[in-house]
Amino acid sequence: MNKVITINLSGTAYQLEEGGYDTLRAYLETATVRLQANPDRDEILSDIERAIAEKFHKLMGSHKSVVLTKEVSVVLAEMGPIDANPGEAAGAGGASSPGDEPGEQKAAAASGIPRRLYRIHEGAMIAGVCNGVAAYLNIDPTFVRLAFVLLTLLWGSGVLVYLVMAIVVPEALSPEEKAAASGNPATAQEFIRRAKAGYYETIKGFPDRKARREWKHRFKKEMHANADRWRYNWHSYWTEHAPVHPGIGFTLPLLSLLQGTTTVLWICALVSLLTSGSLFGVILPVNVPVWAAALLLCVAYGIIAGPLKIARHACYRGLGQPSWVWSFVFLLDAVVWLAVIAILFWLAVHFFPQLREAVQGVPSLVHQAADDIRTWWKAK
Amino acid sequence: MLEFLLLQIIAAQKVYVADILKQLSATEFATQEGTLYPLLSKMRREGLLDYDWKESESGPPRKYYELTAKGREQLRETLDYWNKINGTVKNLGQK
Repeated sequence: MNKVITINLSGTAYQLEEGGYDTLRAYLETATVRLQANPDRDEILSDIERAIAEKFHKLMGSHKSVVLTKEVSVVLAEMGPIDANPGEAAGAGGASSPGDEPGEQKAAAASGIPRRLYRIHEGAMIAGVCNGVAAYLNIDPTFVRLAFVLLTLLWGSGVLVYLVMAIVVPEALSPEEKAAASGNPATAQEFIRRAKAGYYETIKGFPDRKARREWKHRFKKEMHANADRWRYNWHSYWTEHAPVHPGIGFTLPLLSLLQGTTTVLWICALVSLLTSGSLFGVILPVNVPVWAAALLLCVAYGIIAGPLKIARHACYRGLGQPSWVWSFVFLLDAVVWLAVIAILFWLAVHFFPQLREAVQGVPSLVHQAADDIRTWWKAK
Repeated sequence: MLEFLLLQIIAAQKVYVADILKQLSATEFATQEGTLYPLLSKMRREGLLDYDWKESESGPPRKYYELTAKGREQLRETLDYWNKINGTVKNLGQK
């Protein structure tokens, strides 16, 4: 239970909780002190009072007649600290003179505090991890989501990473945390993102086609220049840091062998699962549906094959400019690949009757398909 | 800088402070009432803008701001200067 105090803000009565009243009075007193030397002091104060009154008015409904302490703090944070010397201090983000209002921190956040990783709930699909990462990196959340999906499909680690992040990364709740999540908005990357967002809006605003085309052209040119710079940076990074190792000639085929084995095993397991509903003769538990098992298989494959794949790519990268010496390694690599697949396929056909039947059925299937197409063509 | 943006916003139509905040919030110049009211008062004292009262359906009456002739003149000058600087920045370093 809280005591309620009635106040008069520019002609209308509002009921405030005692704590809220104290906060508001402190805010207005600080404002009065700061505006001491300002010739428009009284006018600004009445403006401020009216703005606060309007915000309170919006909070009130038919069942609600008292403004809570928490709501007063929110409204005052929205108002922001009083800027006594607008001519000098008013820059981007409304730089402010020192003080102790709740809005102070927010203003500080907007003008460049270190960025932190948070989960952002607004506009989130699941737990806001991708949203938070996107805000942290200043890119479109859709790309981050796509990256996670790709990670899951290719290497199976996306889901794991997501789960861990959903638990470990805190959610941005307060305005300060939200501001910290996206950091200082005045960076070049942020500018580009906004430019993209505003692209279509701007295009609509041009009166004639010529101006529109010219602007479009310029926009594209700038974007391309940006992309080129990124590509260049990546390239120089790789040529400097790529690991060059004399043992690549042996590791590469070995890695290929391992990866080939896993791939074939994975395919066999999938076929076995989908045709007989069991994994190489091991029957699935009753409560696990076939599709879930297949998905798990894909994830498992990704987890095993992912590092192998990365290692192989690193080897390729490590070669730098490929010379004729390396073409031998590539050839060996390719031969090993094909041989492994052929051997494993042969083994699979011999040891799995279902697969053998399927393989034996392929010619007749092809014939049937050809016949079908022929009759369909004639009928036409 | 903010002053220039305010002139630009107010030149387009009669606005009140919440409109201005909304327009600015979409840009890198997002600001708050605590900054805006003192600045608007200062600009009014300098004769750049004027306001008139309008009743609002929700809550107290609102001040709607508009530019004076002096404000328009100032905006035109600042815009010219801005464009000039813009051109200089663009042309510098190009061969």
